[in-house]
Amino acid sequence: MSAGLIAPPWRRRLPATRHVLPLVLIVVAGVLVVGPLARILLVTLTPSGLGAWADVLASRLSRNLWWLPLANTLILGLGVSAGCLLLGGFTAWLVVLTDAPGRRILGLLHTLPFMIPSFAAALAWGTLFRNARLGGSAGYFEANGLAVPDWLAWGIVPVLIVLVAHYYSLAFTIIAAALSSVGADLVEAAQMTGARRPRILFGIILPVVTPALVSAASLTLAGAVANFAAPALLGLPVRMQTLSTRIFGMIEIGQVERGFVLALLLIGVSGIFLFLSDRLVSGRRAFVTVTGKGGRTRRFPLGRWRWPLLAVGLALGILTTVMPVLVLAASSLAPQAGALFSNWTTHFWLGEGGGQMAQGQAGILRNPVLIEALWNTLKLGVVVALIAMVLGLALAHTITRRKGTVLANVLSQLAFLPLLVPSIAFAAAYIALFGRPIGPLPSLYGSFALLVIAAAAHNLPYAVQAGRSVLGQIAGDLEESARLAGAGALRRMWAIVIPLAIRGLLAGAILVFVKMVRDLSLVVLLSTVATPVLSMVAYRYASEGFTQFANAITVLILVICLAASLVAQMLQARVQRWKR
Amino acid sequence: MIPVPHPVDDDAIRISGLSQRFGDFTAIHDLTLSVPPGAFLVLVGPSGCGKSTLLRMLAGLDAPTGGKIAFMGRTVSSGAGGVIVDPRARKAGLVFQSYALWPHMTVAGNIGWPLKVAGWDRAAREARIAEVLSLLAIAGLRDRYPAEISGGQQQRVAIARTLAPKPAILLFDEPLSNLDAKLRIEMRGELMRIHRATGATSVYVTHDQVEAMTMASHVAVMNRGRVEQFGPPLDLLRRPATTFVATFLGTPPGNLLPVRRAGDWLVHGEVRLAPAALSQGRDEVQLLYRAEQLTTTAEAGAPVLAAEFAEAAPMAGRMMVTATVGRLRLSAITADPPGIAPGDAIALTVLGAPDAVFATNGERID
Repeated sequence: MSAGLIAPPWRRRLPATRHVLPLVLIVVAGVLVVGPLARILLVTLTPSGLGAWADVLASRLSRNLWWLPLANTLILGLGVSAGCLLLGGFTAWLVVLTDAPGRRILGLLHTLPFMIPSFAAALAWGTLFRNARLGGSAGYFEANGLAVPDWLAWGIVPVLIVLVAHYYSLAFTIIAAALSSVGADLVEAAQMTGARRPRILFGIILPVVTPALVSAASLTLAGAVANFAAPALLGLPVRMQTLSTRIFGMIEIGQVERGFVLALLLIGVSGIFLFLSDRLVSGRRAFVTVTGKGGRTRRFPLGRWRWPLLAVGLALGILTTVMPVLVLAASSLAPQAGALFSNWTTHFWLGEGGGQMAQGQAGILRNPVLIEALWNTLKLGVVVALIAMVLGLALAHTITRRKGTVLANVLSQLAFLPLLVPSIAFAAAYIALFGRPIGPLPSLYGSFALLVIAAAAHNLPYAVQAGRSVLGQIAGDLEESARLAGAGALRRMWAIVIPLAIRGLLAGAILVFVKMVRDLSLVVLLSTVATPVLSMVAYRYASEGFTQFANAITVLILVICLAASLVAQMLQARVQRWKR
Repeated sequence: MIPVPHPVDDDAIRISGLSQRFGDFTAIHDLTLSVPPGAFLVLVGPSGCGKSTLLRMLAGLDAPTGGKIAFMGRTVSSGAGGVIVDPRARKAGLVFQSYALWPHMTVAGNIGWPLKVAGWDRAAREARIAEVLSLLAIAGLRDRYPAEISGGQQQRVAIARTLAPKPAILLFDEPLSNLDAKLRIEMRGELMRIHRATGATSVYVTHDQVEAMTMASHVAVMNRGRVEQFGPPLDLLRRPATTFVATFLGTPPGNLLPVRRAGDWLVHGEVRLAPAALSQGRDEVQLLYRAEQLTTTAEAGAPVLAAEFAEAAPMAGRMMVTATVGRLRLSAITADPPGIAPGDAIALTVLGAPDAVFATNGERID
């Protein structure tokens, strides 16, 4: 694979690689991406598969199997998208275009929620708002005498809130980046005409950032439609089904073909929205950006609204970032849900078990299943990050060096396809392909290998993107000038390519690692008792009512993700000293 | 074209005691100047001299920290009251260095939007758009988007957009600096034609002294937040008030030779250049010699500087020779190429009396 990264002189020595590598890549990408998707489609076209289509779409069952989950999925998708545009747009405006105090902190705060897995927010919500409807211990508010109505404790409203709290920071990131690219002179040119502020905002700034608004809307919508954790934790207990929880349910109870049909339908629903948003933006001449005098943005004075708006921005950031983490951490230490901050005990972490608490279960750090899950999770993250980055670099290299050829186009389409497929449907496709023996190959279901290849394939778009930006940073002339200086291929690799690429490679690898450690919707179908991972164990505990254990594991996941990000930053600072 | 009648004795722009501070940094020091209606004022100076800061205050985008600005006798900005009159009510238009065209609007949309904001009705807007499009000779670009036209065309659209609402004062922020050399000369002519056609008082910021010399009715040479000299371009060229102006203006710029008094002579090194009386009693002064006062052919009785040849460039049928004496760079004019290699010795003959004498602090004394 790595042969593809090496510059022309090596190719001359190994002429075969020129043709072999792209072929290998096509086969690998085909098996990883197209294979499962083709297979899941074919399975549903067999006689029994067609029966499943009929069951899902046109039978007594279809109301519960398809229409209601579809309605819930669409409400969530559109609601989350609208909420994210509002919150993300407001916070981006506040941070980028105004003179609000503490903008840097606000900016950092609003990028964090997306780093926290959505099941963390959902668990935190449950810890606070759970009511007595389902029995078991009540949440913080109810235990303290505040009655929580059912609609606020369970079902579509809390799922909406949790998902907006999770995804708005994605919208914030996209919109803020677009707003800060609107040059000050565009705004000043409008001011010179005497236009008032609202007119400048709606007549100039918003139209200029329309592509970003559309992509923020469609990405948050796709995310919400595909999300599994929040509806599973807050909706399933009251039988609120979305397409992703339905897929999970069908495959869990063995009605695999119905699950496959639903997975295909989910891919279709998510695909339609992504396609529409793409059509809305691409090809419009008006949306070609003309860059202004770089970097400077015109900030509007907020006057007496400075402090109130800062307070709103801060509150939003704290409620979506600090609060969930704090609640989870406190809850993992507090024996009673009604007293999160008293009688703290390390029982749920280190307890020996056998006592009154938690039905005699030991703390998570003494639980061999959890230790195995921790080990598996780390192994999964590292292996997937490595495989995805190597594959991603090889693909990116072939795509950029053969730009414009059919081969490059095919590879780039293949590599970006997984982005359009919701992870739970992607996992279903992997079950369809590898869930039974293929010729002499045994069934991979339940194996660590299946987790790894499915995850690597699903992360391929990010890896290829990281690879492309890495290669973009190493403009051809940098390597060529080293060549003119007489450096051989190895020396160029060592002295030029790797130092320049390492930052991007690390960032890409860490991103993939973090995504894997906190992923639930992909592993929920592929991880079994034989291959437990942390998020899956947390989900199991949560659905069995062991909130503190679930919360403790989630805290553990957060710590791992945070540590990984910190390590990445430190490594970058050490490796690329000239960037200081 | 100026719609509002005004008393003839009123200056179009009067800037008095203007200053601008950003924290500890003073960008504009106590600046005072004024120009009559219809003037073409060029603010010229090296980057960081404060010329763009001044322009932004004229536009009403920034408020001064001291002093005031008046248009047609009406105070529009003051250090005490900030921006008193907002950009629209100033009847001023600004052409940005980056053009600042709104990328989501067509050419016609860009030109029409300011009119829409100003409340023009549709018919009047369409008529005015057609008018400025033909004034700038870009009628064919009407329905294109900014990303679809060339830099020079974008420049014309930016000017058309600024002219459309008929501003009484036109402000230009280095408008030609992003164009290639040929287009720059062409647009220079266009801007002067437009200035004649509209009669609008114009303020033009540039770091290019050639633009200042060719376009201005008034030039303000700025340096470190102060106006070094203000007046008609030829006056500045002929009688520079400071060494900064003397070496900044002119193609090629003048040569400044530091000299000291030795007996009856002012000498550079050991070379006797001029009589000591010129220094008016000072021990050290600087003498200004124009490039045409230095040559490479010997002249009986004329002082000769031993220099090192650096480069030669043809200029209007003659050669401009650059040579160094120590760390000093000197320009000389000769008829023929010197035919020697850089680093070779070259003798520069100094012709005639110095054009001006400056004290060591840069002030002119004669």
